[in-house]
Amino acid sequence: MERNTNIKFLVLICLLVVSCILSLLYGGSEHIDLGELSSNNFIFWHIRFPKTLTAIIAGCTLAVAGLILQIIFRNPLAGPYVLGISSGASLMVAMSILAGGSLHLMSEFFIGKTFIVLSAISGSFLITLLILGISKKVNSNVVLLLIGLMLSQICGAIQTALEYFSDANSLKSFVTWGMGSLANTTNIDLAIYLPIALICLLAVLFFVKPLNALLLGENYSQNIGVNFKTSRFYLILISSVLTGLTTAFCGPIAFIGTAVPILSRMVFKNSKQHLHVISCLLLGSIILLLSDAFANSLIKNISLPINMITTFIGAPLVIYLMFKNKSW
Amino acid sequence: MEKRECIILKNATLGYKKNQEDVIILKNIDLSFYAGDFIGIVGLNGIGKSTLLKSLCGLLPVLNGEILIDERNVNSLFLKDLAKKIAIVLTEKIGGFNLTAYDVVAAGQMPYTNSFNRLEKENLTIIESAIKICGIETHQYKLLNELSDGLFQKTIIAKALAQQTPIMLLDEPSAFLDYASKHDLFLLLKKLSAEENKCILVSSHDLDLLLKYCSKLLVISDNSIELIDNASAKANKAFLEIGGGFI
Repeated sequence: MERNTNIKFLVLICLLVVSCILSLLYGGSEHIDLGELSSNNFIFWHIRFPKTLTAIIAGCTLAVAGLILQIIFRNPLAGPYVLGISSGASLMVAMSILAGGSLHLMSEFFIGKTFIVLSAISGSFLITLLILGISKKVNSNVVLLLIGLMLSQICGAIQTALEYFSDANSLKSFVTWGMGSLANTTNIDLAIYLPIALICLLAVLFFVKPLNALLLGENYSQNIGVNFKTSRFYLILISSVLTGLTTAFCGPIAFIGTAVPILSRMVFKNSKQHLHVISCLLLGSIILLLSDAFANSLIKNISLPINMITTFIGAPLVIYLMFKNKSW
Repeated sequence: MEKRECIILKNATLGYKKNQEDVIILKNIDLSFYAGDFIGIVGLNGIGKSTLLKSLCGLLPVLNGEILIDERNVNSLFLKDLAKKIAIVLTEKIGGFNLTAYDVVAAGQMPYTNSFNRLEKENLTIIESAIKICGIETHQYKLLNELSDGLFQKTIIAKALAQQTPIMLLDEPSAFLDYASKHDLFLLLKKLSAEENKCILVSSHDLDLLLKYCSKLLVISDNSIELIDNASAKANKAFLEIGGGFI
């Protein structure tokens, strides 16, 4: 069993390298040949490289956030997007862009970015707490997802209303960002995005024991020495930061958080969460990188929205699991 | 051998909190349980057997008075230390997320592992022996969802064994077991209390099993809670009422 696991990880690492190369070469409207790398230096380092790195970070953060949410809710279909948490973050970002515009906060780059990131994180944290409160009243996994969808509709509606009150400049940044895109992150953005993501992902590794215990439910996890409520609070905080952070930079990215942990459980038929955390990092990056390369090379010279591709991967998987009614 | 008190209830009122208000289930209880005790808890449905067991291991708050575990207040103990003193078997179902029977038993060793939950050789030995004692070797790699109710019950009991605690609390552990397994379970519990000097409290509706194997009975009825010897059970009014004339 151990050996099998190692081989699977090796395959995933190889896939990650391949998808990195594919994303670097084909992840834009202009394809880069390996031979002309030197002449394409600017495109490579200032457009393609940050985009690939963004795809990796976004994949990792959303997948791990999804893994945490699925365990906290003990619902294999949960995820930041389907529970409306991404939308909560988006709404807060929209509000902060509006407020920031009128407060002239946005002129200062780092203050503006920090403001947006903090709003997104608070948005995702609030929605997670709300959903957690609701989850105590409903028993069905599917009903919880429906409520999540409704919440995200409500957030979307408020956001649309806000767009009417915004000036042309903010409106443009809303709309492009609201569709979800990996291409808006610059190298300077990455200087904020990457370190915070790394810290949170490292923090998750220290919570693998609570994650394993939480699988057994509140009573049993308390009885084997893990404080259920405290661990849950910190895990919600971490997953909110992960979701909010990525939403702040890339907009709401669909289904990665739901699909990747499910795939991880399909690949590794195992309940050890330290293994799933690492495989979510790998699988999340691979899927988002490939989706990006695919979105850019499916139709020549046109970049399709990344959410279109991730929805095509994630939504059928969720439907399939609902039909099988089996908890992965 | 001198008997050591391991659980003491001092004027304890038990129940749960609902919307900040106390819901009282059991009132003003004074009881002591000793190492080596094998106690059967009897009472009608909804009388408070589960509440008592959950309160003893800190899953429910002590509303008034106190519960002492090895002379320490149950609520002042660190969860990790409490986990090494009391193991519990509940009636709730768990499963999903690729959890196998082995994983659940292994969770019993969690209080003894480092913060990355790494299982060392001695942990593995304990887990394997717990699996063996409960007779679930052939099912250990099955998913929890695929186990029958009886095998699931045995898995949770194996988890409690793997926890290696001086106190074990079991809430209706015999509910889904077949006839032979019920007797096996009670024999095992009796052996553990006698040989390893464990204090074992087990609630059950199998009165004949409790009469046959336990050393004492805790009889909970509407207006009283009393600890009686097995031999005197058939003269006890509350016990006979619970038996409903069939004992």
